[in-house]
Amino acid sequence: VTPSPPQNAAPSDLGEFRATVREWCRAHVPAEWRQAQTGASDEEFVSFQKAWFAELRRAGFAVPHWPKEWGGGMSAAEQMVLYSELAAHDAPRLVLAFVAIHHAAATLLAAGTDEQRLRHLPAILDGEIWVQGFSEPEAGSDLASLTTTARKDGDAYVVTGQKLWASGAMHADWCLLLARTDSGAPKRRGISYFLLDMRTPGIDVRPIRQATGESHFCEMFLNDVVIPATQLVGPENAGWQVAQQTLGAERGMTMLELSERLGHAGFRWLVEACARPGPGGARPLDDSLVADRLAIFETEVAGLRALSRRLVERHDAGTAGPADASIVKLYYSELLQRMMDYGSEVAGLAAHTELRKPVSSGWESGAWVLDFIGSWEWTIPGGTSEIQRTIIGERGLGLPREPVGR
Amino acid sequence: MSSDFAEVHDELRVVARDLLGKAGSGAGINWRLLAESGWLGLEAPAALDGADATFAEVAVVLEEMGRAAVRSSYLGAVVLGVGTLNLLERTPGRDELLRDTAAGAVVPAVALARGGDDIAPGEAPFRIERSPRGLRLHGEAAFVPDAPDAGRLLLLARDPGDTPVIVDVEPQAGGIGRTVQPVLDATRRFGLVTADGAEVPEASVRRFAGDPQACIRRLLDRAAVAVACDSLGLSEAMLDATVAYAGVRKQFGRPIGSFQAVKHACADMLVQVSVSRQLVSAAVQSLAGDGADTCVAASMAKSYACAAAVDIAGKAMQLHGGIGYTWEGGVHVYLKRAALNRSLFGSPAAHRKRLASRYGVPPGSTVSPAGLTAR
Repeated sequence: VTPSPPQNAAPSDLGEFRATVREWCRAHVPAEWRQAQTGASDEEFVSFQKAWFAELRRAGFAVPHWPKEWGGGMSAAEQMVLYSELAAHDAPRLVLAFVAIHHAAATLLAAGTDEQRLRHLPAILDGEIWVQGFSEPEAGSDLASLTTTARKDGDAYVVTGQKLWASGAMHADWCLLLARTDSGAPKRRGISYFLLDMRTPGIDVRPIRQATGESHFCEMFLNDVVIPATQLVGPENAGWQVAQQTLGAERGMTMLELSERLGHAGFRWLVEACARPGPGGARPLDDSLVADRLAIFETEVAGLRALSRRLVERHDAGTAGPADASIVKLYYSELLQRMMDYGSEVAGLAAHTELRKPVSSGWESGAWVLDFIGSWEWTIPGGTSEIQRTIIGERGLGLPREPVGR
Repeated sequence: MSSDFAEVHDELRVVARDLLGKAGSGAGINWRLLAESGWLGLEAPAALDGADATFAEVAVVLEEMGRAAVRSSYLGAVVLGVGTLNLLERTPGRDELLRDTAAGAVVPAVALARGGDDIAPGEAPFRIERSPRGLRLHGEAAFVPDAPDAGRLLLLARDPGDTPVIVDVEPQAGGIGRTVQPVLDATRRFGLVTADGAEVPEASVRRFAGDPQACIRRLLDRAAVAVACDSLGLSEAMLDATVAYAGVRKQFGRPIGSFQAVKHACADMLVQVSVSRQLVSAAVQSLAGDGADTCVAASMAKSYACAAAVDIAGKAMQLHGGIGYTWEGGVHVYLKRAALNRSLFGSPAAHRKRLASRYGVPPGSTVSPAGLTAR
């Protein structure tokens, strides 16, 4: 018998690990959390997220992708087991800690000083929340054209400007900030990378309402905000390079979790929706066209999961290609969108009456139309699908660059 | 179609675009304004203060309503209400209701099916039962368009002799229940209508003027094509908005519309809009002219235009970038409406299934594919 996809060929130690995680999930995934988190207030969301993070941390499951010496050390295969079991048990996702455990950690590990790592990595484990302050109104896809400035003033920098799409800024303790330190240099050589304490005077955070009706994205206005020079990450004016280095790395880790979530929660719910009798009494699943679509999705999810695992393994081995992360991000986000689209279509009018989804849930929550609309949060931010295709064509395939005006 | 008609349509379109555009997307529209414009009674006979026009004129208004993503009871009151009244036997009561509807004095809603996604006549949602105290109405219909705001309910019911009839009731009547069914698309209103032993006076029972099944089928086709018109209009609005945005939003020192990734996506949207327009026009003409293959044209228009509209509004959200994903940006209003339209009065898959049921049936065969020929 040919083994099913490689990620399922579990050696016995992984089998044991899976049993451990499964047992842990049964004992610790809060009952009825979805109901409690539907329509939850900001305060309820934050306290629930922090409690769940602490629970995962006690079990050693909060930051499996970190190096062993900082509290992680799981292989890609083990992480897949962990994430698949969490998804299979409909566990809440770490929405609030997402930037802290992925983006912030990856940046500190790759480019931070020892002091910065010691200051923040243990703090993140204790619940420190981070936000990313990269995009601006006029610097979206063209991030390098950002105009927020950081002026050197003695042992500090004074920052002024506006950031946009800062997810969760209202709850954040710290911010990963890109600001221009040399306006005379070519645009990618005049940017610096900072760690900004969100309690610093001069920061004004305003939530923006999104297409789904939620408001986790924020505008951040920075007015003469003082950042000590010790909070610079990497050399001055090398912020773009630091960001490039860490963006891809962090993307691989997040994709592993999201792929397992899509496979073990998203796909399962889609099958369940199709197995539910419709208004006429028939199950959509009994229609061979529906069954065919589901089989296509299952196949695609299997491909995505294997692709995510390979990305993490190649990243750990230092052999990742320049477009590998873009391939996974593009494929994940568009597959998510197509699956949620299909869920909306199959679930019919009833899906339109689901006006709210549980906060703390995954990108797939079972509220199909809301999830479909929410899927643009994956095809637009973090480099749009159009930008990913350009990266894949140019950096991955070596095709000539598009002519770019300045 | 004569050029006279085309001119009339162009004029109607200009007026509608202006009037509905002023309301702004997602906004409600003053019903009196629609009545004064003559859009409620387009298909009502002149003798009842109507315009003696056809569904082709209604379709122009519907498309513009989709373009403006307007909130109104036009689907319930005109597409279904006037459409139903026109197919009923002429009685003083029916004439009075049609006249009042055309004048905007009464806003009816119609329940033809148990859910909002049927494409062919099925079991009537309501039934009239004899009781010692006279006739009583029982049943339930979900997703009845514009029922929450309606002043009159026209409910499809099976009479004691098993003939489908329309029961004309006041929403406040005893035994009649009406519950709002809120949906994500804030521009649409649906209601769950229930009847639990409501009294049915003889005068409230209205009979179809022709074969009831053929009439119901026609009404469902009307509804499907009306939704397709709406989707066509909203697709055009999304294409226009995206082209305008791509022309002014600059990244990398030039308008994003100058990048092929964006330009080609817009081109694909136009191709889809162009095909939608042809299929919708064919279905509208078939309905307006009592064409023979209305079911086929309706299914093609509904399945294609409503699926395309979701793609187009989705692409509009994508190409508007972050702004497209904000509430303020307004693209979500169109995406939600497009997604709802796709499910309303038959999913694309259901309509394609109806089309496919014709394949392989030998010419002259007595086999009648589901929902296609009169039974």
